[in-house]
Parts: sequence; structure tokens; C-alpha cells
Amino acid sequence: MAFAIPKENYAGKVREIVIGKGDKAVKIGGYDSMPLCTFEGTWPNKPVVAMEVYDVAPELNAQGWPPATFEAFKDVINDPGAWAKKCLEYGADLICVQLAGTDPNAQNKSAEEAIEVVKKVKEAVGDIPLIIWGSNNLEKDQEVLPAIMEAFPNENWLFGPAEEGNYKKITASAIGYGHLVAGKSSIDVNLAKQLNILIENLGLSLDKVVMDPTTASLGYGIEYTYSVMERISLAALAQNDDKMQNPFINDLAKEAWKTREAMLTVEEEPTYGEQNTRGILMESITAIDLIAAGSSILIMRNPTAVKVIKELINELYS
Amino acid sequence: MSKIIASAAIRGAHKIVERVENKIKEAIDQYGPDKEVAYPNTAYYLPIIYGILGRKVEKLGDMPPIIEYCKQLLPEVPAEDLWIPYLGPALDAGMATLFAYDMEEALKYVDPDKCPYLPGGTEWIDPASDNIWLGAADDVIMRKRGVEFVDGSAPGFAAVVGAPPDVETAVKLAKEMQEKYLYVFMASDHNGVNMAEQLKEAGVQLGWDTRLVPFGKDTSAAIHALGFATRAAMSFGGAKPGDYRKVLLYNKNRIFAFVLALGTVTDEWYAAAAGAINYGFPTIADSDIPEILPYGVCTYEHVVSNVPHDKIVSKAIEVRGLKIVIKKVDVPVSYGPAFEGERIGKDAMRIEMGGPKAPAFEFCEMKDLDEIEDNKIEVIGKEIDEYERGVTIPFAIWVQVAGRKFQKDFEPIIERQFHHLINQAEGVLHIGQRDILWMRISDKAYEAGFKFKHIGQILHDKLHQEFGAIIDKVQVKIYTEEEKVKELLEKARAVYHERDNRLAGMKDEEVDTFYSCTLCQSFAPNHVCVITPERPGLCGAYNMLDCKAAYEINPTGPNQPLPKGEVVDPVKGRWEKIDEFIYTASHNAVEYACAYSIMDNPMTSCGCFEAIAVVLPMCNAIMVVDRDYTGDTPCGMRFSTLAGTVGGGIQTPGFVGISKLYILSKKFISAEGGLKRLAWLPKALKEFLVENGLQKRCEEEGVPDLVDKIATEEDCTTEEELYEWMQKVGHPALEMEPLM
Repeated sequence: MAFAIPKENYAGKVREIVIGKGDKAVKIGGYDSMPLCTFEGTWPNKPVVAMEVYDVAPELNAQGWPPATFEAFKDVINDPGAWAKKCLEYGADLICVQLAGTDPNAQNKSAEEAIEVVKKVKEAVGDIPLIIWGSNNLEKDQEVLPAIMEAFPNENWLFGPAEEGNYKKITASAIGYGHLVAGKSSIDVNLAKQLNILIENLGLSLDKVVMDPTTASLGYGIEYTYSVMERISLAALAQNDDKMQNPFINDLAKEAWKTREAMLTVEEEPTYGEQNTRGILMESITAIDLIAAGSSILIMRNPTAVKVIKELINELYS
Repeated sequence: MSKIIASAAIRGAHKIVERVENKIKEAIDQYGPDKEVAYPNTAYYLPIIYGILGRKVEKLGDMPPIIEYCKQLLPEVPAEDLWIPYLGPALDAGMATLFAYDMEEALKYVDPDKCPYLPGGTEWIDPASDNIWLGAADDVIMRKRGVEFVDGSAPGFAAVVGAPPDVETAVKLAKEMQEKYLYVFMASDHNGVNMAEQLKEAGVQLGWDTRLVPFGKDTSAAIHALGFATRAAMSFGGAKPGDYRKVLLYNKNRIFAFVLALGTVTDEWYAAAAGAINYGFPTIADSDIPEILPYGVCTYEHVVSNVPHDKIVSKAIEVRGLKIVIKKVDVPVSYGPAFEGERIGKDAMRIEMGGPKAPAFEFCEMKDLDEIEDNKIEVIGKEIDEYERGVTIPFAIWVQVAGRKFQKDFEPIIERQFHHLINQAEGVLHIGQRDILWMRISDKAYEAGFKFKHIGQILHDKLHQEFGAIIDKVQVKIYTEEEKVKELLEKARAVYHERDNRLAGMKDEEVDTFYSCTLCQSFAPNHVCVITPERPGLCGAYNMLDCKAAYEINPTGPNQPLPKGEVVDPVKGRWEKIDEFIYTASHNAVEYACAYSIMDNPMTSCGCFEAIAVVLPMCNAIMVVDRDYTGDTPCGMRFSTLAGTVGGGIQTPGFVGISKLYILSKKFISAEGGLKRLAWLPKALKEFLVENGLQKRCEEEGVPDLVDKIATEEDCTTEEELYEWMQKVGHPALEMEPLM
């Protein structure tokens, strides 16, 4: 008797979400099987890679910027526009503008300065959709993100993270100015669902919402991220819970590159082996794990890691 | 609906439609039907007509058909001797009025040279300018301000027509509304004066930034408030033009607006008010006009009249069901969770209230909305600065709350919050609750200006912030005179007692709804607590009333009402709908759970249980061990080992996680015979249960001497020893049906 693969039939389907507009718009989601299990359903849209552009130029060997990553951007590191273009050359599907510099505990850049950065990036990349990511400071993000939405109305960009403490301002502006929201909750299925409900109650259609269940790096708790993403996916697909049927975004580069494994030099830790490869592997394997967990948007940093991941995605979802 | 109001509104509407019809004719005669007509910089045309009817008015020639439509809407003025339901016709007349006003205002923009309004997009009104009238807001302003309505930083707006009798009252009203973060939209006049003019006279800054927005001096200019609301529904509420139902409901449910009618209410005002009622916006008047009190289109009353000026804003807030936004706790010391654990020693103490040396208590009481005044804080007796340093004084905190959704059952839940709310103030220590209150205020807090009244301020501000969903008004009285404290203490004690009895008296059979708790699914993903009146949550922190209140406060949270449905098994505690809920909420991991059984599919546990009940097969009995007891138990496992067996959302027959007080419930493993099965408890737990009425429960079970037959670790710590003990004392469990 021929072998038949046992198949699970899922009742639910994840929403298809469109970021940006026109020819260059990026579609994610729309799948009705668990990740990689394409024999049980379809993933019409492959996971995509958003590459980071920072509002404030990082310095060599500052946290998260060992040579492997810094060197790839050193010519463009002071120019967000050129940096974004470089990302497109490296194969980015979209650009993620990281506004880490707006954090009051960092350079405390103003909303106006953030708007300038976004403007430069937009001018450089044209219609490529943008993801605008705040500094994870609740207060500051709810000031900066709405200001950018107002400055660039109806671009249909993705803004995040919106958390329970600041989702109201961010969501209300997204409704008013025509953008999408990435809701971030802390590693908990019910909190993720609750945030989706709250965002929807405010009036934003769930067709405009992406979920960030909190991303951890390989070796630093990725199993928790994996587990919560798996459970959300099962709720969305197996239980057909329509408040959970939204694709994931994972802000992973920051996590992978700040690890000891990425940052320590060979001199500091001879047993770890060559530093550049090590960092790239940290980011790549974190990304692979998140693809297996069902990620739809991977926010990444290093061009080599991006190349590896793009090839992998193409093979897995061809 | 009051016939007088309906007749007046319908009369007014006829007059307005006729007037606007004439104006349109004149305009067409002058400019021709193809002349463009529009508000400045908007994609929503004439917003009311576009939003409600889905029709675009772009040129003068588009107006006459709308007027025809208005005429069709206009009902006959009810005859003197005719008595029929009036609400429908009056609402239609109101709608016709709004369409007519929308056109009347748009006509003002036809000739830019004659337009009475400041340029479109003006946000700030120059105090030196003679013209203060803004007219229609453009889309940029509407978006920017609309965001505030959606995210809640502005709860709503007051559409003020007319003017209060004097400048002083106008300033007071404006300030009061600003403090509540309301937008104040001003139009029309009373005796030739508009409130905005009074404010200007008093030197108050007008404009969108101060939220004091003068639209225009004609009554028709009030339409810009509704135009704003209609555009907000299309822009933020996703209502399509012409989807009138969605436009109106969005406003009723989301935009907390009301009309303040200041001055003589004319037929025109009535007509406009009827229009506003369509949006769910009630009218509050300072003059003596008939009222429309029954609920219906609006959330609560429709027209409330004869309200004095010092009460009119709070009345409007109450009638519209508006929630007050409090951004920061208004006290002279730092406030936040960081100060919660702070201790104040004798050396640093300015004053001590209650504790072992003086009587003190705190109390929360529900009142009717009319009985109390929000944010009224009184200190009855001496204030802190009238005492010597270091003294101990009697103290009472008597809090009165009111809210449309408040229930008497919530009193103790709110009262329990005082502890952590007060403790979060730097330099203020709060220990205990009810009549075992003990507080201290530090020297530093005193020097910073902290007074007793600030305790009331904290409670007012925080109760609004955290419990705004159920609380609309908070009034606080603080007593420091010994006589008065003692007198009130007696009253409070009677209520404490009554509350305990009320909760104790609730039966599972008597309610048709239980509550769920999935708070712990963050770490026990498939665990579901079903909380019933007689089976509190296993953590001991949530009883049925807590869940009910939590649900009212946070309707999307982890506590949801669960209708029981048909009884499946009254003895073991199974209900049709509860079974279904457990199956779904446990992500299909738990098929069903028996609320009253330890043997057949017992309820799962997260890991937060106060205690664990365990079957002892040899003794045909059960034992209970709580978290605080770390020694050996007759089942051979210590609490920590047992916790690993029971937790994590799995069903383990023979083991169940419970709260300590559940042991005293009549439904405590009642499927297996209940309390009579209990043969062993740690000594401390047994003492706790005795304090809470174990003896009485034993009597109710028909075994008055059971208390003495329950062994503790002092009697035995193995099952064999326990079996001998039971035989020795004649424990009833030995005679009961076999457990397994």
C-alpha cells in the first residue's frame, strides 16, 4: 500500500494583509496551514524580509554593531536614504525604519527629526512600503508614531509596536491617517488576542493589524516565542478563532545582534570561534526558527544573513 | 415624547426649511445653478447630507432636491386635540432641520468676500481679532481632533447654544468643561449674546488648541458640531456615505457629545435638539422646559431641563454617560507603584492614624448619582496641620461612589482597592482594611504639603482612572473626631457583617450565570477556572463578585460571564454550556470538568492554588494541605511535590487545587460526600478554618464533633497513622461509601 501523508484539515485561515500601495505593495498572510506544512494547505504569500535603517548612525562595536554588520553599511551609515537603497540592493522586500534614537534614554530625538529620517528614506526608495518601528518607549512611541502617520497620510505603512499601554493613540491615528498597526503583546496567547480585540474595538479593521508576540533571540528564550506563535497559529487555524487570524512580525535583528555570541571578539572568547560568522549565524538561525514558527515579516540587519534567509524562503515556499 | 417639545420642534423645522428654501432660490437667482458650493478643504461635501443621505452637494443646483426631501420628511404640526406617539415625527423634523442648516451654512461660503468666517483651517484665534467665528472645520483639523476622540484623550464635545446670564458664569462653565477635556463648540445666541463673546470679553483664549471653538452666531452654525461628528463617523468609524444607521450609531456609541442649551429655548433650538437626538446627543437646558426622561434613542435621558449652572456640566456628563479622564493624581507628593512597599518608622512619622492605639476604618458605600457630588472631599474634624507631631488619632475614610453601572455588590471590591491606591503615595503608609486600618504619614510628605484631604483626592482620581467603567462620581469624607469615628464605625461594622452574609448566602443553584477566569493561561495554557458562588477561584483571590466586577470594568478581559445552560449532573456539578466553554477555552484539552468532584474529571489547576485536596484511599477520606505547610503529609508527598502533580492545567483524579475558604463551602467535593470526608489538615490551616466557621459547617453536616476528629501534623503524618487515628476517634469517613 502506498504511503499517504496524514493530513490535518484546518477550519481557519489567516487574513491577507497588504502593506503599502500600488505595484510595490507587499502582501503577507492568507495562509491556511501551519508553517512549512504546505502539504496541508497553502501559503500564497511567502514570508518577507524587512531590512533595518536606523535613525541615528550606530558606531562600530556599539551594542549590536560588531564588524560583520557595521562594515556592510559603513559607507551609508550616516545617510538613512542611502542606507535604505543599499538594503534594497541586498534584497530587502521592505524597509524598516528603526527609531531607536527617539528613546528618551538614548538620544531623545524629536518627532520632527524622526519625520525627517522617514522622509529621506521615502525619497530614496520610492514606493517600497515602509515599516516604522518605535523605540519601545510607550510614552515616546505614542507621540512619535502618530506624528509620522500625520506627516505621511494614506501610505498604508505598518507602524509598531503598539502595546496595551499606548495602542489607543497609535491605533486612532492609524485609522485617521490610513496606516496599519503592529500590536505587541508579551508572550501570551490571551494577551495577544485581547490586544487584537482592543485594537478592533477602537475601529481599526483587523485587516490592518499584524501581531508581534515579542521576539527573543536564539539562546535567549526563542522557545517561548516559538511556543506562543505556534499556539496563536493553532487557535487561528484549528479553532478558527477570528480574533487571532493575523500574521506575525518579528523584530529579531536587535535581539540576535546584542547577544554575547554576536558581540564577543575571538580574543574575548577564544572558544566561540570566528566572530563574523558567529553573528551572522545567530541572526540566520533565529530567523529560520521564526520562519518555522510562522513568521510573515522578519526584521533583519545583516546582508549575508538576509541572503541566506531569502534563499531558504524561496526553497521552502516555492 | 413630550407633545409640547415635539410640536415646537416640528414648528421650528417647518420654519427653518422654508427659510433655507428661500435663501437657496435667491442664491440660484444670483449665481446660477452651476455655481460651486462647498465647505473649505473637505472631501465630505456637505457632511450631514453626504453622511446620512449619501448625496453630494457640489453646486447650488444640487440643493433644491434636498429641500424637497426635507419637505417630505417634515411631519404636520400635531393638532391641539391629537395625541399620538411623537418621537418619530419629531426626529424626522430634526433631521430635516439638520439638512437645511447644512445648506444654509454652506451658502455663506458661496461668495468668499461675504463669508462671515475666518479662513478655513484656522486653529488659533487672535485675541486682537474682531471676528472670532470659525465656521466649518477643514479635514485637517477634523482628522487631528478626531484622533483625540478615538483614543479617548478627548471624551467628547459640548455643543453650546446661546449664552449663560453673565461673563463670570461663562468662564466658569468653559473652565469646567476644559478640565474634563471636553471640546466646547459654540453657536447661536441668547438675547444677542453668544458664550464665545463672553469668553472673549473675559480675555479667555479661544480656538481649537484651547478646545473652545466658536462656530458662529447663527443657530445654523451649530450644524458644524454635527458635521464634525458625521465626518468622524465616516473617517474613523468606517461608515460609508449614506449608511445613516452606522453614522448615527457610531456617534451614539463613541462620541460622547451633548447639547447645552443656555437661554430661552426657541422653536428653532427645539428643532435642532431633535436633530441632535438622532445622533444620541441629549440636550441639557438651564431654562424650565418640558423634559424627555425615558431612555430610547439616547443612552439615558433625552432632554433634561432647569439645571442650575453650577450643576449643568456634571449633569450633562451623567446624562450622556460620559467618562471623566484623569491624567495625573493631584497630590503634592510623588505617586506610583514604586512607593507601595515603603515603610514609615516612628522616627520619620508625622502622624499615625488607627492601628492598635486608636479606632480607624475605611468604608465604601454606593449612592445614587443625585445624592453625591463628584470630587467633593471634606475633612470633618481637624486637618493634619492642627495636630502635634507624633500623635496617634482616630480616623475614618468614608467613600461614596455612584455610577449608572455600579452595583451594591461592588462596594467591597472597590473598598479593597483603597489599600494599594493609598499606599502608592510617597510618604503614606496604609496597612490593613475595614476596621483594622492603620496608617502613617511621614514628616517628608507633611512638609511637601500632604494633607488628609489628599487621601480623598487619591481615591477620587484613581477610582475614576481605574474603575471609570463602573464609577461616575466619587465623594470622600474623612473623619478625625473620635466620637464621630466611633459612631460611624458601628454603622460600617453592621455593613461589613451584612456583606459577609450576603456572599455566604449565594447558591450555585440560584444563579444562571457563572464566571470564567483564564488569567493564568499565560503560564498554564489549557487551564480554565469556572468560578461559581460556592466555588471561589483556587487562588483565593477571585470570588464570583470579583469576577463580575472585573468583567464590568474590562469586558474583553479574562473574566467572562458563562451562562450555565441545562444541568447535566447536579451532584458532580456539570452544566451543558459550562462543559462547552471548558472544552473550547482549554483548547480542546479538557473535555469537561466536575465542579464538585475530586474523583471524576476534577477541575484543572494553574498552579496558584492556595491548597490541594488529596484522596487517601486506605482511609476512604481526603486531606488538604496548604502552601504554607512544608512538612510531610499522610499522602506521602509534601505540598511542593503535590503542586507539581496537580498544576499546569491537567486533570488528575484524586487531586484538586482549591482555595482555603472553599473547604467551608457546601459544595466542597460534595459529589464525594463533602466535609465529612476531611480527615487531615495542617494545624495552622485548621485554626484558620475554625476562625472562619468550621464548627458551624460541621454542625450543618450533622457531625458536630467533626472538628476534633480532623487530625493535624501533631497527631500523625502518615496514612497508616491517620487510619489508626480515624478508627480511634470514630471518623465518619470510615463509614462512608468507598471513594474508589
